[in-house]
Amino acid sequence: MSTQFPQPLPSHTLNCRMAFEPAALERLCQVVRIRGFRVASMAVESMGEHIDIQLTLEGTRPIAMLQSQLEKLHTVVEVALGGRSEVRSRAG
Amino acid sequence: MNGAQHILDAFHRHSIDTVFGYPGGCIMPLYDALVDDVTVEHVLCRHEQGCALAADGYARASGRLGVCIATSGPGATNLITGVANAHRDSVPMLVITGQVPSDLIGTDAFQETDVLGMTLGIVKHSYLVTDASDIPAVMEEAIELANSGRPGPVWIDIPKDVLLERADAGIAFNRHGQRSICPDLTQAIAMIRDARRPLLYSGGGVSLAHCETAFRRFANASALPAVVTLKGIGNAGKHNPHNLGMLGMHGSLAANRAVDECDLLLVIGARLDDRATGKLDEFAPNARMIHIDTDQAEINKLRSADVSLRGPLEQILDGLFEAVTKQPLMIDEWQSQCRQWRTTGGFSAADNEAPLAPITGPAFIHQLSRIAPDDTVVACDVGQHQMWVAQHYEFDHPRHHLTSGGLGTMGFGLPAAIGAQFANRQSTVINVTGDGSFMMNAQELATIRRYGLPLKIIVLDNQCLGMVRQQQELFYNNRESQINLDDNPDFVAMARAFDIPALHIDRTDQVRRGIETILAFNGPMLLHVAISREENVWPIVQPGGSNRNMINESQHANRKNEEHIA
Repeated sequence: MSTQFPQPLPSHTLNCRMAFEPAALERLCQVVRIRGFRVASMAVESMGEHIDIQLTLEGTRPIAMLQSQLEKLHTVVEVALGGRSEVRSRAG
Repeated sequence: MNGAQHILDAFHRHSIDTVFGYPGGCIMPLYDALVDDVTVEHVLCRHEQGCALAADGYARASGRLGVCIATSGPGATNLITGVANAHRDSVPMLVITGQVPSDLIGTDAFQETDVLGMTLGIVKHSYLVTDASDIPAVMEEAIELANSGRPGPVWIDIPKDVLLERADAGIAFNRHGQRSICPDLTQAIAMIRDARRPLLYSGGGVSLAHCETAFRRFANASALPAVVTLKGIGNAGKHNPHNLGMLGMHGSLAANRAVDECDLLLVIGARLDDRATGKLDEFAPNARMIHIDTDQAEINKLRSADVSLRGPLEQILDGLFEAVTKQPLMIDEWQSQCRQWRTTGGFSAADNEAPLAPITGPAFIHQLSRIAPDDTVVACDVGQHQMWVAQHYEFDHPRHHLTSGGLGTMGFGLPAAIGAQFANRQSTVINVTGDGSFMMNAQELATIRRYGLPLKIIVLDNQCLGMVRQQQELFYNNRESQINLDDNPDFVAMARAFDIPALHIDRTDQVRRGIETILAFNGPMLLHVAISREENVWPIVQPGGSNRNMINESQHANRKNEEHIA
């Protein structure tokens, strides 16, 4: 096992609105993990039929690639990187 | 109607007449409903993995939705490899599993598994239905999702009590599909015109989008030199003089050379998979790239595109066809160069002239390709034989070549061939397999016998895991590890035990007669072909290496001689 402290990874903020269904968070986290990011913090708020999730993610891969993969999830309504200006609707 | 009957009702609405499944405790209400149904043919496979792979083969061969059904717990987990296989190759599939009754979920009940949780990474979408009145809408949405955009498997898990629950539900389903608009092609057309050495690079996305005809029209009109991925084999047709064949790890020298030298890659329905590109940094180093794909996430994923087009593929291809028809491309020199590479660096499998000589895999496949009818569907397994088929069998249509591309699932071929035979009852369907792969789903011989399917099985038997042995020889100092299968069963006797006639051949002079015999036989038949254990697939690129550094047989022999002398 390495005893060195890991280098800090690039950090990204990502806001995601999803349909409120039982597996919503699992779907989101599964994609985040397999596409090479780790969750540093996560806040979830229920908004009726939707949930809004704010994620702080760490990873070295391009965050836009993760955004594209998340937008493919059927229950994702929109994904925004950082501020609202970077919101892309899932219709792309 | 109860929940189970609502499922069948959806099958009827969507003209789903063939499903592959295996019953069990929690899915019994659906099997009970099937008893009274005369329009849906249920194909009973002998293992749930066989069900999923047969549904996959059915979908690939027909272009229609494949459907598989299983019970909870082990029924569902046995489906997983087949569903993952469909997911990796974007095959439209509907998966229906029974789940333990609602009040037992989360209690570690008998045959309970968290199917929704464990399958998240291998489905396009999934549902756990908790109310029978939701079933009609879920079925509609699931079928739409599986077939639309980039297709894929959609899994519906339904507790037993929900299958039994009575519900008079309407179909309240809003279609999510949007009318796609053809993107502006101006920039792409200008790039194609500017290029001196443009190359057409196509993959499985062409047939997934049902655009085989439009693609071929454009390929012929443009006369662009063309390469294909494993899943794109057949796109260009067997008579296209500009087709250089498959690129990549076991691609032709001609295809990899053309990629290396081209100045423009026109990528259509392909995802630049590592087996195709080799070392990405050294892939097509001089080329700009136009990437056409239905999946936004594939654009710029592995290599930045200079122009990307996302939209209805048929309209895009028609637009490109119109442009190159109005003003043909002036690439004579490049075409001539590629034709020369095709002559000197295409796949060639020399027939062995000596009648008593052992059979070689490439020569056998080449002979099979010449003898079998043009519309034959060949379902491969995974390994050396799969690559020999990709290299030496000439396919005229991508739906004639069923191969596990993304996942590389040994055991795919036999059940996939069963599915293909149900999709094309009159066609010749051949499963070309190896001795390793064949044993992974050999139980499906019983399915072939039960339904009297006339499919043909060719086992290329080298008594080892040939592809692993080859890589151990080339890249692990010939240290063989766990690849020996010389205690295989007697495959001829095994087939006969399932009441399937079988032949054995091991000499070159028996090849033609063996192939003709199984093809002429009115019913299923197995041909057991003994081949050399030492035979390799050539050329090969070391995993992770550049496609520029292909190793061919003579280079390998020279290297071995040098080592021997030293």
